[in-house]
Amino acid sequence: MAAASVTQGAAARRRQLLLLAPGVIWMLLFLVLPLAMMVYVSFWTQTTFAIKPDLTTKSWEAFFSSTTYVEALLRTLRIWLTVLVITLLIGYPTALFIGQFVRDKTVQTVLLVTCVIPFWTSFLIRVLAWRPMLGKEGAINIVLMKLGIIDAPIEALLFSELSVIIGMVQIYVVFMVGPIAFMLARIDPSLIEAARDLGASAWTIFRRILLPLSLPGVVVGAIFVSVMVLGEFATASALSGRKVNLLGNIIVTQVGSLKWAFAAVAGVILTIVTALVVTLLLRVVNLRREL
Amino acid sequence: MHHLKFLRGGLAVYTALFIAFLYGPFVVMGILSFQKGPEGGPQFPILEWSTYWYRHVLGFAPPSRVAPLPIGEALVRSLTLAFATMVVSTVLGTLTAQAFRERFRGSGLVFYLVVLGMIVPGVLLGLGMALLANNLGIDRNWWSTAFVLHVVYTYPFAFLVMLAIFNRFDRSVEEASWMLGVTPARTFRKVTFPMIFPGVLSAMLFAFTLSYDEFPRTLFTAGSDVTMPIAIYGTFAVEIHPNLFAFGVLTTLFSFALLSVYGILMALSVRRARMRATGIQEEIA
Amino acid sequence: MMEIGGLSKSYDGRPAIADLDLMVADDEYLTLLGPSGSGKSTLLRLIAGLERPDRGRILLNGEDITHKPAHLRGLGFVQQNYALFPHMTVAQNVGFGLANRLVDPVTDPAELGRRVDAMLDLVGLSGLGGRMVSQISGGQKQRVSLARTLVTEPRICLLDEPLGALDANLRERMTVELRRIRETLGVTFLHVTGNEAEALAMGDRMIVLDGGRAVQVAPPDEVFGRPATARVARFVNAYNLLEGETRDGAFVSGADRLPLPAGVHARAYAVRHDAVEIGDQAPEGWPAIEGRFVTAEFLGSRVLYFFQRRDGGIIEVERHLSQSDPLRFAQGEARVLHWDPAAAHLFGEDGRRVDAAQGGRA
Repeated sequence: MAAASVTQGAAARRRQLLLLAPGVIWMLLFLVLPLAMMVYVSFWTQTTFAIKPDLTTKSWEAFFSSTTYVEALLRTLRIWLTVLVITLLIGYPTALFIGQFVRDKTVQTVLLVTCVIPFWTSFLIRVLAWRPMLGKEGAINIVLMKLGIIDAPIEALLFSELSVIIGMVQIYVVFMVGPIAFMLARIDPSLIEAARDLGASAWTIFRRILLPLSLPGVVVGAIFVSVMVLGEFATASALSGRKVNLLGNIIVTQVGSLKWAFAAVAGVILTIVTALVVTLLLRVVNLRREL
Repeated sequence: MHHLKFLRGGLAVYTALFIAFLYGPFVVMGILSFQKGPEGGPQFPILEWSTYWYRHVLGFAPPSRVAPLPIGEALVRSLTLAFATMVVSTVLGTLTAQAFRERFRGSGLVFYLVVLGMIVPGVLLGLGMALLANNLGIDRNWWSTAFVLHVVYTYPFAFLVMLAIFNRFDRSVEEASWMLGVTPARTFRKVTFPMIFPGVLSAMLFAFTLSYDEFPRTLFTAGSDVTMPIAIYGTFAVEIHPNLFAFGVLTTLFSFALLSVYGILMALSVRRARMRATGIQEEIA
Repeated sequence: MMEIGGLSKSYDGRPAIADLDLMVADDEYLTLLGPSGSGKSTLLRLIAGLERPDRGRILLNGEDITHKPAHLRGLGFVQQNYALFPHMTVAQNVGFGLANRLVDPVTDPAELGRRVDAMLDLVGLSGLGGRMVSQISGGQKQRVSLARTLVTEPRICLLDEPLGALDANLRERMTVELRRIRETLGVTFLHVTGNEAEALAMGDRMIVLDGGRAVQVAPPDEVFGRPATARVARFVNAYNLLEGETRDGAFVSGADRLPLPAGVHARAYAVRHDAVEIGDQAPEGWPAIEGRFVTAEFLGSRVLYFFQRRDGGIIEVERHLSQSDPLRFAQGEARVLHWDPAAAHLFGEDGRRVDAAQGGRA
């Protein structure tokens, strides 16, 4: 009978293994293996047009002794932090309005869908659409001049770090709004009601109830925005006129000139940065429990 | 109470401005897509209103110095790729989520392995896969190396959607079916699947959209036959023309059409169920 | 016939079912009573095959089904929340098992329709077959759930608090219905309930489950008349239960001393609500407690009087109006509550009964 029991348990386990196997194998082959390959290749020897599997740290030394690359790393971090803070600052009030001040579920959905609709246009076209907005003869300069706020067009709007940041904020801010609004909408209204009955001010309610309860949303949103901004290169190349180089741009350029080992080094550094950022954010909240 | 109303009004105005910020570039893009062609550039002022760039995109305009967008085959490839990605990632996502309904050892590890697929920056995966393919001597193609990466990216989304669906699924309904003598496999087909179908549909929609627009993972892995986003990226290097904007407007309309079909299908199935039920009720009455 | 031997199941080290033995006969109505957390739902799920036991075995007509998958056991299971298939009509729900089961499925639509209609007739749902399950009432859902199970002719039908979600009126009607349906089909019902009145009204036999063990298996009147443990006396909700200790041949509880038979050592003392008499003075040698009148509750054919003991505890006294007219007391009026020594139920250190009380109604 003990044997029968073991067989039964084994059958259930086999069924579960069968369900898990396709996904796990897929991820091991096409996610873990390529990343491992990247780490491995970063230690290969780079010649002008080819790489050889002779292990060396030359590519790493080359990366850290080049001001261009180190600057790109620092710029990536700077732009990431700027975009993260701005998306949070301008996204949170919208999320607060949708999640807390709109009580009608239909209106809530309509507002969220309105925010998502731009995603139905190709990401790259959305980026390009900023060019006629920000350019010297762009919409913003025209409007500002017509209003008499400025005399001459602001040239720094396009093909600068500013234009890259503006573009990224517009594209990624929705990923911040969504999770925060979702968490805020989940808060039991009676909780707020009770706090108000006890005489809590709007600020106290925000600081003591809304902010802590929406924190998981902030973290999830921050993870989304972070991993997307850190891996960015298209926005930078479209809106900076190739002046602003991020780690992603370095990778693309190196691949373009067949410098695979250098590309791999930049890739590994980007992986480490991303992993650090995500781990730090996950410290704040248990993603699996919140979903 | 009054200052709360004030706050509410303020936030409403802010949200309106926020949405204007999201849509601003679109409006500009829409206006500029009607720029005069082929002389007009992608900026103000509008020289003359025309539909030239739309004809240009669709291939009806006479040849000019502006090269036509290489969209025909790229579009077909992107749609095929998105469809295949949708099917595979939804199946994988459903299988994995089904396994997660029972607790098992190492579930945390598997969970993060799957979620990693949507967290790792796309350009890294593209690079890693390109390196792997090069060293194994495998050709890079949109239907092979790019396809598997698309699934790596969309499968976590499908998995999370299905996980949420199963979390809310009342498993006593499945138990009821087993107790009636129906095998677990047939129970899944006859009971579980019809009940989770709306969730499956949204997982599919998710996967399709993400794959259709996927770009950083595809860049290094698609080989010479490019997909739609890669074709657009190719135009970055050269001067851009309003034909891209016309194309943007057209794809947006196409997306809306797709979304509307989805919405209508959902509404119809709901109404049909309701009609059937009320029809029968009237019959009884 | 089903035999259960040494069945055990624990969750995270906490036993839910501990070494349970049970015999279920053919064609009987068996009720399983237990407080929440007593393991009654676990037991049902173990029998159904929805959970795996850690130890022990289940024999059905001599065949070991302990490790058989649920869909091969040929048992029926009616869930507390009905668990109807929401995307099907009433008739499709009822016919689902017959049409889709692995063993001996009914493929002929005419035959299927005939059997579904017959079952809908039996449970009183004729004509509702075409409705969606979202369009019928709670009581009707209960009947669909029952019909869906019974139409597959299970060897034993397990019912998990089937009346729990119904209102009092419906519950009473379904009580009668369930008995009628069971008798018509001759199938064994194993009915789990947390409601002692339900268990008393329904079953031919009753199992009282406590802490994962069957502490008493007997006809309902015996369980009520001679509870096997102090806790059973508490579950059946018909006893005044006093806790205390034995000193100098008497049971001491708070300020009260109650005489005990010689040689009996008790830790708990129970006396039925309807065995207690109210008077000025107790007959010589009868146990007695002084109580002050608190309130009375009229329940149609009977009255419950509540008295407060000197140390604060409440004694309930039940009087059937067929036996006597309602009594009137002033608030706080002191009375002597007494009873025949033979009506005392005594329980020892381990909670098991230690007396030789005659039981029955006083």
